[in-house]
Amino acid sequence: MYLNQRRNFLKYSFLGSSVFIMNGCELFSVTTIHDTIKVLHTDLFPKANELQIETSNYISIILHHERVTKEDKIFLKNGVKWLNEASASMYKKTYTKLLFQERQELLHAIVQKEWGESWLHTVMTYLFEAMLGDPIYGGNNNEAGWKWLSFEGGLPRPTKAYL
Amino acid sequence: MYDICIIGSGAGASPIAYELSNAGYKVVVLEKGQDYKEDDFNKDELAVCRRDMFTPPLNEQKHIINEYSQSGKFTRYDGEKSGWNFWNGSMVGGSSNLMSGYFHRMKPNDFQLHSTYGKIKGANIVDWAISYEELEPYYTKVEKVIGVSGKVVKHKYQEPRSTANFPYPELLTNGVTQWFDKACDVLEFTSIPTPRAILPKDALNRKGCYYSNFCGSYGCASGAKGSARAALLQKCKARIITDAFVYKIDTKHKKVKSVHYYTKHGIVHVINAKIFVLAAQAIETSRLLLNSKNKDFPNGVANSSGEVGKNLIFSAGGSGQGRFVFDKLNKKEQKELMQTGVFFNRSLQDWYDYEDGCHKYKGGTIDFLFEHQNIISRVNRELYDEDGKLLWGEKLAQNIEKNIKESRVLTFEVFNDWLPTDNCFVDVDDKERDAYGVPVGVINLNSHPHDLEVGEHLAKQAVKVLKEMGAVDIEYSISSSPPPNLVAGGCRFGNDPKKSVLDKNCKTHDLENLYVTDASFMPTGGSVPYTWTIYANSFRVADIIKERLRNGAI
Repeated sequence: MYLNQRRNFLKYSFLGSSVFIMNGCELFSVTTIHDTIKVLHTDLFPKANELQIETSNYISIILHHERVTKEDKIFLKNGVKWLNEASASMYKKTYTKLLFQERQELLHAIVQKEWGESWLHTVMTYLFEAMLGDPIYGGNNNEAGWKWLSFEGGLPRPTKAYL
Repeated sequence: MYDICIIGSGAGASPIAYELSNAGYKVVVLEKGQDYKEDDFNKDELAVCRRDMFTPPLNEQKHIINEYSQSGKFTRYDGEKSGWNFWNGSMVGGSSNLMSGYFHRMKPNDFQLHSTYGKIKGANIVDWAISYEELEPYYTKVEKVIGVSGKVVKHKYQEPRSTANFPYPELLTNGVTQWFDKACDVLEFTSIPTPRAILPKDALNRKGCYYSNFCGSYGCASGAKGSARAALLQKCKARIITDAFVYKIDTKHKKVKSVHYYTKHGIVHVINAKIFVLAAQAIETSRLLLNSKNKDFPNGVANSSGEVGKNLIFSAGGSGQGRFVFDKLNKKEQKELMQTGVFFNRSLQDWYDYEDGCHKYKGGTIDFLFEHQNIISRVNRELYDEDGKLLWGEKLAQNIEKNIKESRVLTFEVFNDWLPTDNCFVDVDDKERDAYGVPVGVINLNSHPHDLEVGEHLAKQAVKVLKEMGAVDIEYSISSSPPPNLVAGGCRFGNDPKKSVLDKNCKTHDLENLYVTDASFMPTGGSVPYTWTIYANSFRVADIIKERLRNGAI
């Protein structure tokens, strides 16, 4: 029991761990991975919201999955930092505080950069894992993602998530 | 003491376990991975295909890969850092659990590649030590024991058979196969129903296929797929020890005395037996022999020839695809196109050899199949527009919806010979070690330019069929990239102990009681997937070992 509590603490503390946003040499702001990803997911694929599928919590699974490499986790986290630093540079605000149009302009700017394209692609890949993976992972609410695409999951379905 | 100790539990190992234990011999199988049963398998795309639950994590077990260019220089890749993964199924039954089960026999000419097609500069082509006729009874045995379904059709390269047809009828197929057959008629190609190692109905004390729509890459929940586990290991009394990573083979006076294995907790166990059979998958088999070097075998066990690890081969070729869109189809055709569950199952072998100018080429096989149903990977393919720009938002949603719901992709896979060369071989690394503390395998990769030439020729024929069928967005890629699930060689068999590791019975030339029965023995690979041939050869060697034991020769 104690062990589980300890593990949960570590899990949430890592996900909730602060991302320090620098503007040049100065600390500009502090945010979290989840806060940024939550807004970013709605910007990248609003269809998920429309289908009432929550995708951002799935990032917690990825950040703690033993089969996702440390490098991939660090890249995911660094991308949040770099996105917000680009936001600070362009608009003097963090990403979540921008207007919708400003966020889109920022995404169009960072996708021109090698890291930006690669990171957005990675974020979207995990978004679709959440949206179209088995509902046992917490996304794909009521199989809404599958129903949208007239897709029938294979049988048998998993009885527990592979974490 | 055991009569037989088998290292590995896949298609090369299990026929030995099945035959010898059913003949009353005491058999033990050592498997590094876990044991799974039908009830353990499900169709979780995230776990099986995206988190690779059936292969070792690369931060614990990896390979070093040296990729050679044609100039002879190579680039070194660390498997963990690059994510380049050569593992298949690390589990009881090995990768046969996850295969698609496209089963083609090799042709008689495949056994005589050198004699039939001649020397090719830079390629180490030799004839096999046995003929097709010697292996034919065992191909037939596999059809019956593993269970192969299909329908024999007459064509130019149909190999001789001792039975008229397969023991199990064709699996159900999608209506689009009729479009394919018509296109082949127009083009004067011969459409072949692809034989599959899948039972179409309950038989052999296994359930028939339930058309789950998710076959290749997944474990079979009914037992219809002829995996080494479902078809053989679950039907014999061989003792299977899981979590057993064999790291050393001990020899004494030209015999293997014992093998040593680690559990994942680092506990050492030793197994003694009269006969040892090594079938750990081609790369790992060579790695184990090389890592087991001792004073009698300073270059690796069974390696007096220096040939262990040499002439590693894969399946050459590549893949391609075409898309069928609703806009070009009537309602009936649209319905046929979107019918899921049933198989496509069509192949072409019209160019198993062919002439181009004055030169006769060894060609290959083309298998056609619908794009895998995995929904996440299908959607991920829609992330870029035609100009290569990343999409998001409403535009992306529209593209996904239209392409997934109103079109379907038919793919093809080309299989041709990966010619053996000097720079394609297995070695072990001086410094890098895995989680067990054992030197990791080094995979040296080199492909012969001839392989690409043949692959291109075959892909162009496949494109003709897709065009005739009315597909759009047709594309293909023939490359020298090695498919990790189609690997062979490294311990080729032959009659000359100076030029081969194994004799024609797959016994090592150097040791009286050590056999190798995975795909390592193959000096060339034919132009078909390997599994049927691996099974057949292992059944052949099982008979040889049985005869030896019966005669008291060991």
